[in-house]
Amino acid sequence: MAMLEKGSPARETSFALMVNDERYRSVFYQIVAFALIVWCAWFLFTTTSHNLATRGMSSGFDFLGNTAGFAIAWHIIPYEPSDTYGRVYLVGITNTLIVSVVAIFFTTILGFVVGILRLSSNWLIAKLAAWYVEILRNTPLLLQILFWYLAVFSILPRPRDSLNIFGVFELNNRGFYMPSPLPGDLFWVTVLALLGAIVATIALAHHSNRKQASTGQRIPVLWPSLGMIIVLPLLVFIVTGAPLSFDYPVLQGFNFTGGTSVPPAFCSLLIALVVYHSAFIAENVRAGIQSVSHGQTEASYSLGLRPGLTVRLIVIPQAMRAIVPPLISVWMNVVKNSSLAVAIGFPDLVSVFMQTSLNQSGYAIEIVAMVMLFYMTVSLTISAALNVYNKSVQLKER
Amino acid sequence: MANTDATEVTFRPKPSLPPPPNTVGPVGWLRRNLFSTWYNTLLTAVALWLIFFTLYHLYDWGIAKAVFVADSRRQCLDTSPEGACWAGVFHWFNAFIYGRYPYAEQWRVNFSFVMLAVWMAPCWIPRVTGKIGIGLSAVLIFPFFAGYMFAGGDKGLFVQFMLSAAIVTFLSIWLHVACCLLTGRSLPATILSLAGKGDDTDPRVQRNILVGAFLVALVIVFAIQMPWELRDIPTNNWGGLFLTLVISGIAITTALPAGVVLALGRRSKMPVIRTASIVFIELFRSVPLITILFMAVTMMPLFLPETMVLNKLIQVIIAVCLFAAAYMAEIVRGGLQAIPRGQYEAAQSMGLSYWKMMGLVVMPQALKLMIPNIVSNFIGLFKDTTLVSIIGLYDLLLMLKAVSQNPRWNGLHTEPFVFGAFVFFIFCYAMSRYSQRLERTLGAGQARR
Repeated sequence: MAMLEKGSPARETSFALMVNDERYRSVFYQIVAFALIVWCAWFLFTTTSHNLATRGMSSGFDFLGNTAGFAIAWHIIPYEPSDTYGRVYLVGITNTLIVSVVAIFFTTILGFVVGILRLSSNWLIAKLAAWYVEILRNTPLLLQILFWYLAVFSILPRPRDSLNIFGVFELNNRGFYMPSPLPGDLFWVTVLALLGAIVATIALAHHSNRKQASTGQRIPVLWPSLGMIIVLPLLVFIVTGAPLSFDYPVLQGFNFTGGTSVPPAFCSLLIALVVYHSAFIAENVRAGIQSVSHGQTEASYSLGLRPGLTVRLIVIPQAMRAIVPPLISVWMNVVKNSSLAVAIGFPDLVSVFMQTSLNQSGYAIEIVAMVMLFYMTVSLTISAALNVYNKSVQLKER
Repeated sequence: MANTDATEVTFRPKPSLPPPPNTVGPVGWLRRNLFSTWYNTLLTAVALWLIFFTLYHLYDWGIAKAVFVADSRRQCLDTSPEGACWAGVFHWFNAFIYGRYPYAEQWRVNFSFVMLAVWMAPCWIPRVTGKIGIGLSAVLIFPFFAGYMFAGGDKGLFVQFMLSAAIVTFLSIWLHVACCLLTGRSLPATILSLAGKGDDTDPRVQRNILVGAFLVALVIVFAIQMPWELRDIPTNNWGGLFLTLVISGIAITTALPAGVVLALGRRSKMPVIRTASIVFIELFRSVPLITILFMAVTMMPLFLPETMVLNKLIQVIIAVCLFAAAYMAEIVRGGLQAIPRGQYEAAQSMGLSYWKMMGLVVMPQALKLMIPNIVSNFIGLFKDTTLVSIIGLYDLLLMLKAVSQNPRWNGLHTEPFVFGAFVFFIFCYAMSRYSQRLERTLGAGQARR
């Protein structure tokens, strides 16, 4: 009541009008907000340029052409200390991407396995999987990375007594050594056969889907495509005379030579990322499968579908709709969390560029901006892919 | 009316037979859950072997062969080379909790945390009214008290004032609790009835009495606390679990309100405010926390005037808060999107203003809906605070790591990390359990039975 009396038109000033009338109010707020943002930006710009000037620091991206002059412990693209900072940026990006992609691959597999085990009808298995998830989810990733690095991989034996796995892999405190493939002259024919088999499989699956949509009959896809993908390249491989040999790591003096190797920091980072994030994916998978209402399974049984087909045709397609969006955000987290490599000295982007290069060159603003740009590009790419996928599987309503 | 004709044959069911013996009791449970098929039996055997293997080695390493009392790692290794060296963890225990906080002053930390618990305790007493006010005061006023208790040093006029306000608030909360439990009336009502104005019709008289009582109490407390002075403890001595709790506590308490504001900004119809919110949220969500921390440490001194020098802890706290707010904003937005349009329209048709609609109708529902996500975000934030160790703040993780660099305990990695993992597990698991309980109690209205 009191408000009505106060708000009588006679006492309305122009300021009160601005605050109380919705049309003017939104313009008023926005002008205030805009002015605030502009003022902040101007303040930051002037103080920063003043600070840079007084400290004698230069700015701009010219430094990317300067010689970096430090060594990087592990890189997959060629790099020498005489290379430029621009090259360092590329080395950091490739290292980050390679560890993320490998981690995403194994995380997804392990996560699905644990998630399905959590729904096992075997009480003991379900409980074990649940405790796996609880323990890994509730301890910090950084602690796990340090644990793997300091408590597991750094106490491995010296190269001379290194652990031999399956006769071909070597594990010691210098890293993990594996044989590297050396393709022979006619190896490209096998690769071609594999590519052909994959294309044929995709065509078969497409054809089968169309046939089922129009006639209701299903053509078996799984076994023929497995046969094509495995048997065909294998036959070609043998016919062309097995043109593939391996370069095995061999102990020479104090270290192994030959083969490919990754440092202990890579192994610890990879294992920690995989194990930690698999717990999250396991939860997503479980929630996704449980989100499919039981009526769907019952309806499928009443139509006469067997349990295997019910899972494949009814449950999984509906569960994927709930699993994929959080799955992709876990993938995004894997990429972002790979930056914790800096704690154990694995040369990822943050470590080589945001730490070493920044400390050496002092171009703080440019370097931070470039690192953030990289992570934002990756995030936006992944989320764009998610949106495309989401559009294709959303429930089509109304 | 029942038919009482004696000739009618009534149906009398025989008592049902008991279920077959192998489907009930422990045996039935075992058959159903562990040995239902041949492959389930196999899985059970594998799982049992796995459990036995893990537990046996854990017991062997952690208890049977462990050393609990020793002076150095050398001594541990001499006594039992294959067992755990818990002596190192015991030796460093105080440092894990308080970092390098001086031993004689550690009571201040303990006192503040106990004070917080006592401050918040009325929120869980059923008959107490005004719980939102108590919770808000713990968030808005207690930090000043705790801040002075932790840091100590010279008290400025502002700190003295806030310290007095905190003490008065704390005392009035517990007076209020006593009033609620004894008379069933709130503290303001009791004060008014003592002053004889309990049923005065003029609200201004009542308000003046309450404000007057508060001011009198404030002046008295102010005079009492004037001579108090605590030893100055600079923030680079703070560390351990205490520092972890300070950083994550501040981040968690600022994340929710800041996230609500950002989420509302993102859904606002005003383009300038919406764009600013979207840019902020997306920028902070798409980059790793560690880059934001590096940015805070390397760039904040460049952004600020030379006269303003922040210490590292404050830089880090600002960075973590900004990061937390962006994540919380997306969770709150998810909650807002889940509220049916009808709720907004109903609130508008009742003539509620924007803030009343949000505060009374939409936000409570949205936040309740998002409790699991909010708490898992809190848990994530608590775990993410360990990243401050990378830029050299001695939080719990860096204290755990520091053990192995000490000459006496050189190389002792595993045991401190196991201890740290256990501490983090306890905190995070407790949070997630509490959120599940909260979800059940608050969601009781929507539960399907």
